[in-house]
Amino acid sequence: MTQRVTERALDGVKVLDLTHHITGPYCTKLMADFGAEVLKVERPGGDPSRRMAPFLNDDIHPEKSLVFAYLNTNKQSITLNLKSEKGLQLLKSLIEQTDVLVENFSPRVMTSLGLDFGALEKINPGLVMTSISNFGQTGPYRDYKAADIVEYAMGGLMYISGAYDREPLKHAFNQAQFKAGTDGASATLMAMYHQRLTGEGQHIDISIQEAVATGLRDVVNNFTYSGAVRRRQPNHSGDLSRLRASSDGHIIPNPGIGAGLNWNVMVEFMGIPELGGDKFNSPSARLANAEELGQILDDYFIKQNKYERFYAAHEKRFIFGVVQSPEEVMADPQFEARNFFVDIDHPALGTLKYPGAPFEMSGTPWEARTAAPALGQHNLEVIGQKLGHSPEDLAQMRANQII
Amino acid sequence: MPGPLEGIRIIEMGQLIAIPFSMKMLADMGAQVIRLESTGRLESYRSDSVYKNDISGDFWNKGANFYEQNRNKLGVTLDLGKPEGLGIIKELIAVADVFSENFTPRVIKNFGLEYEDVKKIKPDIIMVSSTGYGFYGPWSHFGATGPATEGAAGLAYQTGYAGSNDPVMSEIPYTDYTSGEHTVFAVMAALMHRLRTGQGQFVDISQTQATSATIPEILMDYSANGRTSPRIGNQDTVMSPHGCYQCQGDDRWITIAVANDEEWQGLCKVLGRDDWASDTRFKDSLSRWQHRDELDALIGPVTNSWVAHDLMTALQKAGVAGGVVMDSKDLLFDPHLVERNFYEVVSHHESTGIPPLPYAGRPWKLSKTPAVPGMAAPLMGEHNHMILGDLLGKSAEEMADLEEAGIIGYGPTTPRPVQRPPMEEQIRQGRMQRFETDFEEQVRNRFPA
Repeated sequence: MTQRVTERALDGVKVLDLTHHITGPYCTKLMADFGAEVLKVERPGGDPSRRMAPFLNDDIHPEKSLVFAYLNTNKQSITLNLKSEKGLQLLKSLIEQTDVLVENFSPRVMTSLGLDFGALEKINPGLVMTSISNFGQTGPYRDYKAADIVEYAMGGLMYISGAYDREPLKHAFNQAQFKAGTDGASATLMAMYHQRLTGEGQHIDISIQEAVATGLRDVVNNFTYSGAVRRRQPNHSGDLSRLRASSDGHIIPNPGIGAGLNWNVMVEFMGIPELGGDKFNSPSARLANAEELGQILDDYFIKQNKYERFYAAHEKRFIFGVVQSPEEVMADPQFEARNFFVDIDHPALGTLKYPGAPFEMSGTPWEARTAAPALGQHNLEVIGQKLGHSPEDLAQMRANQII
Repeated sequence: MPGPLEGIRIIEMGQLIAIPFSMKMLADMGAQVIRLESTGRLESYRSDSVYKNDISGDFWNKGANFYEQNRNKLGVTLDLGKPEGLGIIKELIAVADVFSENFTPRVIKNFGLEYEDVKKIKPDIIMVSSTGYGFYGPWSHFGATGPATEGAAGLAYQTGYAGSNDPVMSEIPYTDYTSGEHTVFAVMAALMHRLRTGQGQFVDISQTQATSATIPEILMDYSANGRTSPRIGNQDTVMSPHGCYQCQGDDRWITIAVANDEEWQGLCKVLGRDDWASDTRFKDSLSRWQHRDELDALIGPVTNSWVAHDLMTALQKAGVAGGVVMDSKDLLFDPHLVERNFYEVVSHHESTGIPPLPYAGRPWKLSKTPAVPGMAAPLMGEHNHMILGDLLGKSAEEMADLEEAGIIGYGPTTPRPVQRPPMEEQIRQGRMQRFETDFEEQVRNRFPA
């Protein structure tokens, strides 16, 4: 055995991962990347995200999905047909030995397989079972269908996103799925903390809709505090944190937070005399003259270079931001200094740069120990060696399409 | 029943959302969170969006955003500019499990509260710093807001209407939540490690990094294929129809996502357009996707005559993923969220004049260790005596001296309320869609105290 250089935060935590697509795999990826032992159980055809674009060189191949490769680092993969008696039996022996089971089927599925929490806690009383679903395990929408856009809409983020005079707009790709995956990982560790102290397991119900609806700042409070329904903001709302076009992209020229801002320094920095005087020099005045302020800022920033203004602003401690393209993100000196992008070598993908640690831990750092597994890569090791089945048994199972 | 984090004490020097939100989540689950505030530099969320826009009296105890982010916490005010104030922080850290903050590294260094300092006070402390770009590196001393890190992370760039040159940014500090969600996970991972080994550590949250970790579709495509895809609005790379379509009424919309032929047939049936179902342009997933712009142009004029909620019910009955684009009021009164007890009614201190109100809960339900009952965010200095007196053992005389010297207080030293324009003006400016004068009664009826 090789000597370990670092400690891992979740050393000794065993996770049985029945998840697919994005939200569940991100939940278990977070745990795997910080040291949990994650065993991914795939249907014989594989996690559907193996067929999710983008692929390396657009080559549609189950080992070449880039999203799958990202979401499944540090995991092992076995295949099991849960619709077969033998497959279920093997799964139950794995459940006996795990701390955590994570799944993101629609709410009826686990029960229909006889794998509801009530049944599983009899096999393993300390089991923490985490179920992530579109709308949770209860309630009138329990069996509603959804995609990320539907969760965005029903979670309340979409109504306030986009242009004032156009249809609401969702964020690119799969943000609702990632939110719920992160929440699933947090809640799982809360339950694991309790389990390590008391031996008691429990069932966790995560709703993707609620994951979105938890992070809306004052959208709901606008109604409870003032009877107002907030909407998408017009361009000239005067909100200083709004995006403005620059000559070479976009900049977020937010000078500072609330009362801490010295407006006159800002006016001088931008060199726009019209912004001086009483009209704009307090938050209340800026709200009252919002439209005019918005127009002045638009006219100014369209002539500026975004990085030049960004760095110059920070000299003055104005908290400006820049909108970066993927190319600019990957060349970002801050990410570079923090080694955010890491090289991972994968048999079918070769060595590629992946987004790395979402945050840093000084004592137990994020690690890419292994690339995403090939489908069923660990059948022999896990079902054969760990569960004690002979190579003949395995051949038999393969012939019967159990693995 | 107690929450799973019973017995964990967290000292929070947070502001706005990133740290306050994540510490609220931990407080909800049973951790004791002691929030330190400055009397000299008023947290801006305390003075903004105040109840009924009434800035009279102690307006700093009436801000909506403050109550939203600070439930279940204990509040202590300290003058951080004075050495005695900093001394008290250190006394609190000495009896804490976690110390969390979201100032810039420069400020924390000036306070002498970097991890190396804090570790000397409490060797097994878990310290969490959440910053825009991370605690070290060339941008580490740059202050940031949610929009700035949404831009830096690469998320804003890719978000926008199809064919548009302009990225679109969230209208809330979106990445505060993305990073806040990761912060909860990070604290739990560090607590798991400490439980096993007895060791603390430093957790360095970069709000940008946490956000970039959630967009592999964008960053892996660039990394592997050197490709930046055009913005596609509400469309999808595989599904069609997939979009947001107008319904009856002012600014009412529904989202629809069709994944297969069966759902497509269901959609056509609900909308009464059997002719689409047999149209060869739309015969399978691939041809629907190839004709997605035509399809989107056809659907809007048909959904237009539907009430959004009725259409959602009809679509879901037919097995089609359809969901109303919910506004503030829809969300608050959503029968599903209400039945799942997503909202928690919190009572406010009577001096605030705010009645009991519902607040958003958590995205998780733990069957055996559910959350602790909701207590309102603290008034300024509400728990000064409880924490400094009872916990740190300061005598009544010492407390009086601290008050006398202005080290602890019960309000801002320079009160500066933010007056929002009257509601009619906010609607005219387009900030709000509408205003319902009987909101108090509506809220009280649906969410009795």
